[in-house]
Amino acid sequence: MSSDAFNSTTALLRMNPELYTVWNYRRNIMTQTMFPASEPAEVNDALTEDLSLTFTLLKQHPKVYVIWNHRRWCLENVPDGPTEDDPQGWKMANWKKELFVVEKMLDADARNFHAWNYRRYILANMANAPPPSTELAYTTRKIEANFSNFSAWHQRSKVLNTLWEEGKLDEKTSKQSEFELVQNAMYTDPDDQSVWIYHAWLIGTGEDASLLHREIASIQELLDEQPDSKWCMESLVRYKRLLLRKHRPSLSVVEGEQLLQDCSALLAKLAETDRLRRQRYLDILQELQRPSS
Amino acid sequence: MSSSSSSSSSTELSIPLHVKYIQSLGENKDDLIYHMTSHLRLNAIYWGLTALCVMNRQDALDREEMIAFVMSCWDEEAGGFGAHSGHDAHIHATLSAIQILILQDASDKIDVPRVVNCEPSKHIFHSRRTLPEMLTEGLPLLVILSLQQPSGVFAGDAFGEIDTRFSYIAVQSLSLLGQLDKLNVDKTVSYVLKCRNFDGGFGAVVGAESHAAMVFVCVALLAILDKLDEIDQETLAWWLAERQLPNGGLNGRPQKLEDVCYSFWVLSAMSILGKLTWIDADKLIQFILSAQDPENGGIADRPGDQPDVFHTLFGVAGLSLLGYPGLETIDPAYCLPESVTKRLGLRKNWKALPKRT
Ligand SMILES: [Zn+2]
Repeated sequence: MSSDAFNSTTALLRMNPELYTVWNYRRNIMTQTMFPASEPAEVNDALTEDLSLTFTLLKQHPKVYVIWNHRRWCLENVPDGPTEDDPQGWKMANWKKELFVVEKMLDADARNFHAWNYRRYILANMANAPPPSTELAYTTRKIEANFSNFSAWHQRSKVLNTLWEEGKLDEKTSKQSEFELVQNAMYTDPDDQSVWIYHAWLIGTGEDASLLHREIASIQELLDEQPDSKWCMESLVRYKRLLLRKHRPSLSVVEGEQLLQDCSALLAKLAETDRLRRQRYLDILQELQRPSS
Repeated sequence: MSSSSSSSSSTELSIPLHVKYIQSLGENKDDLIYHMTSHLRLNAIYWGLTALCVMNRQDALDREEMIAFVMSCWDEEAGGFGAHSGHDAHIHATLSAIQILILQDASDKIDVPRVVNCEPSKHIFHSRRTLPEMLTEGLPLLVILSLQQPSGVFAGDAFGEIDTRFSYIAVQSLSLLGQLDKLNVDKTVSYVLKCRNFDGGFGAVVGAESHAAMVFVCVALLAILDKLDEIDQETLAWWLAERQLPNGGLNGRPQKLEDVCYSFWVLSAMSILGKLTWIDADKLIQFILSAQDPENGGIADRPGDQPDVFHTLFGVAGLSLLGYPGLETIDPAYCLPESVTKRLGLRKNWKALPKRT
């Protein structure tokens, strides 16, 4: 009987949830044998039960791709119902639980990229998804709990892009508050690269010269306090090079020379203090000293 | 405090021990671990065999037995290889099968056994076709091409988990079979480029955080398809160089722990970009060597942990790219010995560090 076969897949998967062939077999039993002989309500129950099974398994095996994948499959196969008037009811009920599930998973491991990917998938595909502003608030909570959570900074960059593109947030004012958030984090732990990578995202391609000047001055202040801060030096080189690359015509000859000298001095110091990446600094130094075209 | 000129400590790569470790893996088939890892069996054979090739000990595993096992994993119904006899075809197992057969130079000599018996009857494969016949009949090819989604990304199997890993696997498989001309290159590349982030790295799907393993698959895919000029190489190489931690090991993302397997994911991308000099090779070599099991052989994810064949391969592959003496050079785009990709005319323009003596 297929129900025996079905139950044995449950037992096998509880022992080893990575057996992708067993998941396939289980799905085949469901779609080919069980579902054609079932009422939609029974199909919905079976899928809801599989969602609970995978939640149990994920708590033990949070990084197993095929378990996450089976959840997606379950959600995508929830039938219309419970009534003709409410065809989305079952879907909504199941999808709504997913944000709770994924938040539990991210509470256990805030860097689990499977969970973050799943979260983005849920937000993009559920009906009545919470708006991006709610997601922005979620990343704020995650970042405030731990500035080192680059996964949350990454998510924040994606959400902000959406909010800006959709005109739901004014890019300029919102960027300004991001700079304040990130500066706060920099002063808390200047060695935390998550924060500096996010800062580099805020700066972007460096088209805004006054922004570059302002941020250079602010980082310089931090460097004066923390003269060995690698990330202060690294970022200063990055932004000063951006000034040279993008805004050369607006700089005086003296200013241009000064920027070059600053970069050279910073790179020389980086090559001495960040020995692991010594050759990178020397390569950039050499490139800067090459006569520009 | 070590500088790049400091001499290495006394630790060396224990090649004989690692060879013994790899040989021992398939021996105890009653072992629970053996069954618990059956979903990765074909991949594990590829990992073990490639590690042996890098250590110049390809002869250490029985060739005929291995080829017979690979053929027993053929899933006739789906037209691809499963991870083990009786397992469903999957794109990852299919690549491993192709890689093993190519490593064994089996693509023009092998008589496929008349009947390779597998458990469910649908898997019985009976014919006397040779492998090249099978390949030119396009069997694995068919399943690979059918897995491409409208977005350009590939799924792993008919149930549709999508990921840039599967795109890479598809591209490498087609390349090894000499069938890249059947691929929609623009569509494939355009999905990969959508997975690129502002930090220069790549994620598994659109919107995902950069991760060194995905950087490897995306960069290697672009290298195989000659599309590296599409990306910001300087930013990516910077992000990759920042994976090295003070203990010499590499992590896969910012603020995460080091792990030996990233020695390959990160280094392969760096060697494709020609930037291997941007990290401290001495310290990384010491880190990888410190993760060896000095008693039973094998390399673990980090010192003191249980070794496994996956980290053993990516440890020696990392050492190979760093020019560690006595190792065959690994091709970072294919994770196959350079001699093999040269033989197939597939070697791209990447750079390993010069061989040390
Ligand atoms: Zn690992």
